[in-house]
Amino acid sequence: MIGVAACGHDRGPPKPRPLPKIDGSAALRGGGPARSSRIASYKLEARLDPVRHQIAATETLTWTNPGQSAVDALPFHLYLNGFKNEQSLFMRSSRGELRGARASETGWGYITIESVHVAGADVMSNLHPPAGAGTDESVTELRLPEPLAPGATIEVAFKFTAQLPEVFARTGYKGAFHMVGQWFPKIGVRVGAPGAERWECQPFHASTEFFADFGTYDVALTVPTTHTVAATGVLTKAVDDGHGLRTLTYHAEDVHDFAWMADPYAEVMSGRAKLGDGSVEVRVYFRPEQRAFARRHLEAGIGSIEKFSALFVPYPWPVMSIVDPPVDAAAGAGGMEYPTLVTTAGDSVFSRPGIRLPEFVTVHEIGHNWFQGMLASNEAEEAWLDEGVNEWADGLVMAQLYGPRTSLIDWAGWQAETGALERASAAKPGDSPSPIATAAYAFVDAAAYSETSYVETAAALSSLEHTIGSQRFAAAMKAYAKAFAFHHPTGRDLFDTLGAELGQDLTWFANPAFHQVGTLELKLRRASCTPVHPPRGVFGDGAARKTIGEAEAPDAGTWSCEVTVQNTGVVHVPVDIELQFVDGSTKLVRWDDRGTASWERFTVERSSRLAEVWIDPEGKIALGDPTSRHYRIAGDGSAALRAGAWFGSFAQTLMQIVGP
Amino acid sequence: MIGAGSRAISRYTGTLLAVFVAQSIISVACMFAVALVFSQAFSHLPMFDEAIDGDLVALLYCVRYGQPGLVAIAGIVFGAIVVWQLASWFLVGGLGGVLAQRPEGRGDTARCFGASGATTYLAYARLALCSLPGWIVVLFVLGACTSLCAGRIEHALTVPELLGPLALATLPALLLLYFLWTVADYARVELTLRSETHDPGVVATYLRTIGYVLRRPVTLVHGAIGWLVFALVSVAYAYLSLGHPMYGAEGAVTLFVARQGVSLLRMATRLGILAGQIELGRTRPVPPRRVELKPDPKT
Repeated sequence: MIGVAACGHDRGPPKPRPLPKIDGSAALRGGGPARSSRIASYKLEARLDPVRHQIAATETLTWTNPGQSAVDALPFHLYLNGFKNEQSLFMRSSRGELRGARASETGWGYITIESVHVAGADVMSNLHPPAGAGTDESVTELRLPEPLAPGATIEVAFKFTAQLPEVFARTGYKGAFHMVGQWFPKIGVRVGAPGAERWECQPFHASTEFFADFGTYDVALTVPTTHTVAATGVLTKAVDDGHGLRTLTYHAEDVHDFAWMADPYAEVMSGRAKLGDGSVEVRVYFRPEQRAFARRHLEAGIGSIEKFSALFVPYPWPVMSIVDPPVDAAAGAGGMEYPTLVTTAGDSVFSRPGIRLPEFVTVHEIGHNWFQGMLASNEAEEAWLDEGVNEWADGLVMAQLYGPRTSLIDWAGWQAETGALERASAAKPGDSPSPIATAAYAFVDAAAYSETSYVETAAALSSLEHTIGSQRFAAAMKAYAKAFAFHHPTGRDLFDTLGAELGQDLTWFANPAFHQVGTLELKLRRASCTPVHPPRGVFGDGAARKTIGEAEAPDAGTWSCEVTVQNTGVVHVPVDIELQFVDGSTKLVRWDDRGTASWERFTVERSSRLAEVWIDPEGKIALGDPTSRHYRIAGDGSAALRAGAWFGSFAQTLMQIVGP
Repeated sequence: MIGAGSRAISRYTGTLLAVFVAQSIISVACMFAVALVFSQAFSHLPMFDEAIDGDLVALLYCVRYGQPGLVAIAGIVFGAIVVWQLASWFLVGGLGGVLAQRPEGRGDTARCFGASGATTYLAYARLALCSLPGWIVVLFVLGACTSLCAGRIEHALTVPELLGPLALATLPALLLLYFLWTVADYARVELTLRSETHDPGVVATYLRTIGYVLRRPVTLVHGAIGWLVFALVSVAYAYLSLGHPMYGAEGAVTLFVARQGVSLLRMATRLGILAGQIELGRTRPVPPRRVELKPDPKT
C-alpha cells in the first residue's frame, strides 16, 4: 500500500464521459425580475485546446452607459497579460510568487486580440494601451468612433486567443487540469458622481482582485468529451459535436464574472442546501483520491450557503460549484471566488478530521459570493470591504457550523476558534504601516496587505460587534447586505448603514480603526496594594505637635489597591476590567477612554490584596495583542517549571541518543 | 550478547546509576535554567498557564511574546547536549573499561572506570572527528532523498501516502546513519579493549571496523534490538501519559520523576547493548601491533 502510494496515481488515458444533464432551473432561483442593473452582458463562444492550454474564443459585449456623461473610450481588462512576461505589473508586484505558489519558467500566459468590431465595423486600429501603462499590458483601451451618450448601449465583438499560464495565481493549467478565470476582455466600471463619472479599470496587480459590473452571461464552451466541466451559471444545453468534442452552453444572470474548470479526471458529488424559499444544489468537483476531502467541502459548502443566507441575504442562484483542484494545483488554483463557482484548498494528510482548514477555505470562498459576488465592492480600492468583512462573517459561520470554541480546530485535545487562531498566527497587531482603508495595490508588501485587509479588518469588526452587542450588530449588517446587494457599495456605505441601523455615529471607531495606522494597545501599567491605616506622621505645631506612628495608627486590616491601565494605541473602545482579589472576590470596573486621557487609575479598598487584573475578561476586544491583558500580581512559576521539566526531559532524550 | 547485557546490568547496577545521576544532573540543570527563562517572561501572565495546559491560541501568543526567551532555551538545550557529548566520551570509556576488565568491588570498579575513561578520552575525541565525514554524507543523502520525495510528501492526502515517500526520503539516510553509528560503537570497543596491548590508531581502527561490521551483520542486528527497546520504552511512556496532564508545581515534579524512570530504563538498555558489543568485540581478530622504530645510534 505504501509502495503504491509512493509511486503516485496512475490514471491512464482519459475516457469519454456521457453528456452532462442540463440544469432544469432558471438562472436565478425562482426566476423573477433582474436583481441588478445588468450594465455589462457577455456572449462568449470558446474552444479549449487541452494540449496547448489555449482557448480560441469570440466575445460579444453589450454595454450600457450607466452615467450621465458621454463615453468616448472603453477600457478593457486583459488579465491574462499579467502572466505574459516579467515586465507586467502583476509579475513585478508578485515577483512570480503568490500564496506560496511559484510561476514556472515556461508556462507564460497571455491574451491575443485578433479583431474588434463595433456595429460591424473593424475598429482594431482604435485599440491601444492606455496612457501611462508602460510595460504592463493588462489593460487596453478602445477609442470609440463616436462618443456613447448616457443610457445608450453599444455592442463590441472580439475575437481572441487566450493562452493559459501554468497555474500559480488563480488561473491556468496544471497537467490536464484547467482552471479558466480572468480569461476574456472585460470592460471596466464607470464610477463617480453623476455627470462626472470616470473609468475604474486598474491594471492587474498581485494584491488586487476584481471589480466589474453585473450582467448576464451566455457562454458556449467546446471541450473534449473526456472532460468534466464546472462553470458559472446553469447548464442550458449540451451537444456532442463529433470528433471527440462537445459544446456546453451556460447561462448566468446578475453576475459580474464567468469562470470555468475542465478536467478529464474530475468526479462530481452533490447535495442540497435548504433555504427558507427553496434550495441550492451544491456540487463538488474533485479527483478520485480527494473523495474524503470532497465530502468535507460539500458539507461545509451546504452549511455555509444556509448560514450566509440566514445572516445576510438569501443566495439567489440555483447552483454552487466547488472546485477542489488536484493537490499539485491547489496552491495556485485553490482558494478563489467567482460567482456561483469557487475553488477550494486545504486537502492534506495534515488536515485531519477536526483540523478544519479545508472547511474554512470553502466557507471563505463561498462567503465571497455575498461579499463581492453580490455586494460588489471595488476589490482594488477597498479590498478590506470584501476580504475583511467576509473574514469576519466566516468566523460567525464557522462558529455556527462547528461550535464557537472549536470552529477551526478540534483535534487531539487541541481546540481553537477561527478568528482567535488567525490573529494569534498573524504578525504583530498594528505592525502594518498602512491603515485598513488602503488600496490593495498601495500596501508596502503582500504580507501587510493580507494581515491588514483580512485579519485586522475582521478583528476590528469583531471588536465593534462585541462592543455594540452581537445581535444588534448582526441585524445592522443584514440591513447593509439587503441595501447594497447587486450594487457597488463603498466603505462609507457600510458605516453609514451601520450607523443608521444602530442609531449612532460610528466615526469614533471607524476613523481610527480603519483610517489610521496603528491599533488598540491596551495594557496594565501598574497594580499595587498598600495596607489601609489612619494617617501617620507629624501633625500640629508647637505643644500640639504629635507624632503618630504604627502603634497609634495601626493597620485597619484592609488594603487600598491602585490599578493603572493605559491605551497607547489609536483605537479607543469602552472596556471592562476585572479585579480579582486573593480572597476570591472580584470587582468589575468599566473604562471608557474615548475622548479622555489615554490612561486611568482605579483605586479600590478591600479586605484582601489584589491577585489578578484582567482587562477585557470576556475577550470582546479582538484588536491588539491580548498577551498581557490578564496579569497576575504575584508571579507563579509552576507553569514555567512544568515547561522546564518538559525541556529537561527532551534534552535528556537527545543526550541518550548521542551518548549512553 | 543479550545475556551479557543483562548480566552487566545486574552486576554493575551501581555504575549504571552513577552514570545516570551524572546525566540527571545535567538534565535537572537544563530544566531549572529553562524554567528560569520562562519564569522571567511569563510568571505574571496566566495566558502562559493556559498555553502549557494545551490552549493552542495562548501558546501561539506566548511563542510570539517570548521569542527572545525561546532562543535562549534553544541555546540551553543545545549546550546541555554538547556538555553531555563531551562527558560521554569519558563515561563510555569508563563503562567500557569496567565491562571489559570486570573488576570486583566498589573501589576497584571506580578505579577501573576512572582509569579507562581517562585513557581512552582523547582517542574517543579523535574517533568523533574521524566520524564527521560520515555524518556529512548522511546529511547529503538525507537532503538528496528528501528533495526527490518533497513533492509527494507535500501533496500526501492519506497517512500511507505520507509514509511511503517519507520512508523513501529518510530510510537511506537512517540506514547509513545506523551503520556508521554501529561502526563508531565497535571502534570504541576496539579502542577500549586493545588500548593497552596494541595501542591501535584511531583512523585505522575506524576503517578496519567498517569492514568488520560489514562482515558481521550480527553487530547491526544486536544494535537494532537495543534501539527498538529504546523506542518501545519511549512510545509506551508517551502512550501511557497521553491524556494525563499534570497541573501545578507538583505536576512538574511528578512529570520529571516519571520521565527520569523512563530515561533510566533507556540508559540500562544502552548499557546492555554496550556490554554485548564488548562481548562480541573480544572475539574480533586483534589489530596489528604498532611497532615503534627507534633510530640505531650506530648508524
